Amino acid sequence: MKDAIQSIESVPEMTDRLQQLRYATQATEVVPQAVLEIYDRWAEALDDRELHNVPGVTFLRLWLRRSNLEPIVCRELGPGWLNGGWWKDGRARLRAFPVGVVGHWPAANIEIQPVLSLSCGLLGGNGCVVRVPNGLIPITRLLMQKLQEIDHDGLLTKRILMASFDHSRLDVHEAMAGAVDGAMIWGGAEAVSQVRALPFPHWARIAVFGPRISAAVMDAETWGNRSERTEWCRRIARDVWQFDQQACSSPQALFLERSEEHDAREFAEDLKRAFQEENAAHPRREIEPGLTSSICGVRASWLLGDLSHQAFFPASPDWTILLGTGTEMPMPTQGRTLSVLLVDDLSEVISKFDGTVQTLGLGVGNARKEEMLAHAAGRHGVDRVVKLGRMHVFSSPWDGIELVRSMVRVVRHVPTAD
Amino acid sequence: MSSLAEIQRQIESLLGLAPYGTSPQQHESVLLALLKQELAYACGKNLQFCNYVEHWPVRFSEATRIADLPYLPVSMFKANPPLALVGTDEIRRTLTSSATTGQVPSRIVLDAATAKVMSKGVVTIIRDFIGPARRPYLIIDTEENLGTHAQLGARGAAIQGLSSFATEQVCCLHPGQEQDERLDLEKLLTFVDRWKNSSVLVYGFTYVIWTQFVQALRREGIRLDMPNVHVLHSGGWKRLQQQAVTQEVFNREVASVFGCPATRVMDFYGMVENVGVVYPDCDYGNKHVPAFAEVIIRDPLTLAPVEAGQKGLIEVCSALPTSFPGFSLLTEDLAEVVNYDGCPCGRRGISFRFAGRVPKAEVRGCGNLENLRYPRSVVGVA
Repeated sequence: MKDAIQSIESVPEMTDRLQQLRYATQATEVVPQAVLEIYDRWAEALDDRELHNVPGVTFLRLWLRRSNLEPIVCRELGPGWLNGGWWKDGRARLRAFPVGVVGHWPAANIEIQPVLSLSCGLLGGNGCVVRVPNGLIPITRLLMQKLQEIDHDGLLTKRILMASFDHSRLDVHEAMAGAVDGAMIWGGAEAVSQVRALPFPHWARIAVFGPRISAAVMDAETWGNRSERTEWCRRIARDVWQFDQQACSSPQALFLERSEEHDAREFAEDLKRAFQEENAAHPRREIEPGLTSSICGVRASWLLGDLSHQAFFPASPDWTILLGTGTEMPMPTQGRTLSVLLVDDLSEVISKFDGTVQTLGLGVGNARKEEMLAHAAGRHGVDRVVKLGRMHVFSSPWDGIELVRSMVRVVRHVPTAD
Repeated sequence: MSSLAEIQRQIESLLGLAPYGTSPQQHESVLLALLKQELAYACGKNLQFCNYVEHWPVRFSEATRIADLPYLPVSMFKANPPLALVGTDEIRRTLTSSATTGQVPSRIVLDAATAKVMSKGVVTIIRDFIGPARRPYLIIDTEENLGTHAQLGARGAAIQGLSSFATEQVCCLHPGQEQDERLDLEKLLTFVDRWKNSSVLVYGFTYVIWTQFVQALRREGIRLDMPNVHVLHSGGWKRLQQQAVTQEVFNREVASVFGCPATRVMDFYGMVENVGVVYPDCDYGNKHVPAFAEVIIRDPLTLAPVEAGQKGLIEVCSALPTSFPGFSLLTEDLAEVVNYDGCPCGRRGISFRFAGRVPKAEVRGCGNLENLRYPRSVVGVA
């Protein structure tokens, strides 16, 4: 079995590999049903002991299931497309076709992202070239080996080039960008800006995911409910811990609706216990000294900044809760640092969002209030509104973009007989 | 709460001890007790600082080791107005750090008492390395950096800290832009002619000595014949590292220019926020901590003190300041603990080596947001 990740050393090598990929993609057509069938088997193959400790693999197995992806495909492109058929649109008919070869630039902070991004491009029938970040090569190799094992005929693997090259090789990045018909770009501000600046063909579809930050809100009824508070706090801790609070869907602030009846400090104490438990279950293995400095800095500046400010943190940099008031999103510190801010009106918080907030995690008991908050969030640039504890559940649309549809062309056929 | 007078009495008592002669256990016990009193005093003087201390995971009054006491990140002294434990009418001088372009400098307020013990602290330390005698003092800097005003920069503070050892002082650089040729050769050679066989103290910022002094003299082909100098320098290695100048190369070249042994070239680590304490290299290349101070090297992962041989973030503690809460400061520097006692130079307590600045933390991943999309004023319409 050949190595699932190809190390690319030069521009001619990249150009040559991409030409082969284009030929292989054009040679056959693959319909979503066939892709979903292979994904189902891939999901089963990923249930392997050696992968159990890889962050996100449990989710990846669920993601690849037909039961998860089929509804997404149907919603984005209609049920008729599952078998590659046309669907009626008045007197005309429509059918999706791949854009061609899609380039993927995943973020380096999420272990399964190269595969998640790839899975979307393949569902559209595209050939896919994925630039695998150096730190994710071993994990991605393991995941792709499982696909190689079950895709005996190479229906999908022939359409994939998992490429590794140093991130500083601008020439190879340029060669990759210049040969794709679409791109799915994920990551932080610097990474996204650099990739977007590459010389893509003028026809290339560009879908950018990130950089974004996320927030959570809870109404007084919900956070004040002592009997359910422990569970809510666990959910918040889970959302903060996953991806070490570096993902675009990681909450950086939790806004609590003020209540005369309930004590926010009591809530923060419960949240502290939840953070302690989550930390015991998922301790940090390493940290950059600069992040430790930033965490210590934000703790101090918060407490020195105002006498009403409170904070909860251990002697280590493991986690931090900053408790106070305020309606504006703080700039992220990351490192499991959550600002918990009391506000009079949750709508006021949302009205200040400027489009940088991707996901709004909700803990709201009143359905009408939730409806109103979701509407306001949509108006102010939020792309996902979900229950707390589910902020990272990857689904389509993401960042307001349909994951499969964004990389297909929808062809309109008006029959001659009409 | 101890009175300020009682705290100052204990500070004077510590300053009277041999700076590096106390056993680690004795050092810890005496300093811990004093630092607790100082924290209690500071909490009564500055409510913001008190708010910080009260949220610390360990109550300082119950701490059993210095490492458990609350520490402030050194960047907190960039606040405006500066963190202080005295009223503005008591401030005699404000020290500013040497921030590079675009950075906000730290500002440290000194009252008369802190300024006095600060000078004593530096003298006590330096005396242990170069002896107590006064001698001619050659300053590789300009007179404008001597700092006779209420505002004093890091360079001025270092220059002035050593002036107690001076019988006379001479600055050998012309004022002007740093990139210009500024060495006042005539003034320098007059000084050298007069004192070349004497014991002489020389001080300059590390990169100033290299760029304005060593390079200039090498270009002129001049070698000074001053075998009895002590060349002290500080200010960090960042700019010289960019020019691939190592400490070994620096020491060799400086010694060559002065015509002295390389062991007479001495780097010391220090910062304006850690008033009265400097950390010169001993003959074994290690840095030591005097009786009135402590250094804790903390593991970035746990913030617990590291084992000998390990690297971590430098926390500097000092009993000297009473005009600002600079008792325990987490710096943005890294160091390696060589040992917790037993340096062959004979100085007791921790020995450590500077290991560079902490690289700036970058917000990572797809949550790395460099800026908001629009200014706050543009959004907010419901």
